[in-house]
Amino acid sequence: MQRYDYLKAIAADAGDALAVCTGWGAREWWAVRPSDGNLKTRTLGLVSSIAAGLAVALPRRKVIAIDGDGAFLMNLCGLPTIALQNPGNLIHLLFDNEVYEASGGTATASRMADAVALARGAGYKHALWVETPEEFGAAFVQAWQQNELTLIAVKVEPGQPKDLPPLKLDEIENKYRFMRYLEATEKRHILNPGFDSKI
Amino acid sequence: MLFPPRRSDYAICPFKILMETDAPKASAAAIVTGLKKAGIDFVATLPDEKMLELIRAVEKDPGFKHVPLCREEEGIGICAGAYLAGKRTALIMQNAGFLNSCNALTTTSMQFQIPALLLIYYAGDIGDRGFTTLGAVTEPVLQGMGIRYYILRRREEIDETLCGAQILAEDSKRPVAVLLTRSVLGVS
Repeated sequence: MQRYDYLKAIAADAGDALAVCTGWGAREWWAVRPSDGNLKTRTLGLVSSIAAGLAVALPRRKVIAIDGDGAFLMNLCGLPTIALQNPGNLIHLLFDNEVYEASGGTATASRMADAVALARGAGYKHALWVETPEEFGAAFVQAWQQNELTLIAVKVEPGQPKDLPPLKLDEIENKYRFMRYLEATEKRHILNPGFDSKI
Repeated sequence: MLFPPRRSDYAICPFKILMETDAPKASAAAIVTGLKKAGIDFVATLPDEKMLELIRAVEKDPGFKHVPLCREEEGIGICAGAYLAGKRTALIMQNAGFLNSCNALTTTSMQFQIPALLLIYYAGDIGDRGFTTLGAVTEPVLQGMGIRYYILRRREEIDETLCGAQILAEDSKRPVAVLLTRSVLGVS
């Protein structure tokens, strides 16, 4: 099973959740849940922190972090920070393929490091391994309903389907569309209108 | 004065005037007021001893959402997420933490054009012991990254500097740094 098989299992249940993605997972998530509520990050490791910032700032909005093992391991110190804030609206998904997939496929240390134990040790109230798309989907729905900070981790095979539509978003365009989408769905002003609006 | 100066030599140092016991609290209160005037409502922090009163004041002020960090670089991510959701963010850290944040500042803040007000304690600034190497690289790194920065030394310049830096950050959609010195923090 690859990450795409698991993402397909939750897309229909993701509603209007904001989704912050990293690496190749972004293209797959856009394919299964196209939305201006999706954001693709650039800095390795920060997907969970950016998602946490959104979740803390918008406590009534569901936020999904679509993390990978390379990014997860780079930002281990972000886990206690997130656990301390304990945003119940954040669902942290970890797809562990044991390689730096977007950087050519060399091995990460995740063969040795148990991500669920790391998250629990950092203070996550809920963290679990799942093994099938069905278990993954059920754990996702449960995390959504109980509204408590949860890490759902799954071991996956590297790779993705060849026929996915390419991501055509420039990242600044992605940012603006994401913010305008938030303004529309939260029904409030977010973007600084800038100096020109005052003259 | 002998070189290197003994601790007692600081008795003749002009910073002495700011060393009354309530100076750190008064400075912290003034900086918190400045942050509010600048519209800041979300603050991530990682302490330096010199900013202890400032971080305490941020923590207990209900006008801020305060996020204590484990490493400064994740704070860039947390502040970026909060900005996208409409918060006005500041990150309070030492200059070592600024160096820890350089990749995130480049590939998140600047690449996505996300403003951030950086309040950086200037360790290794003139007269500051212990971190002279850090002090020596701070301004060249800020310059190299193209981050505009302002050195804040006097309490009466806090409001103007913080409000002005936040306007720059918002309108340029880039990080802007304010370097906090011992004198403005009221610490020795």
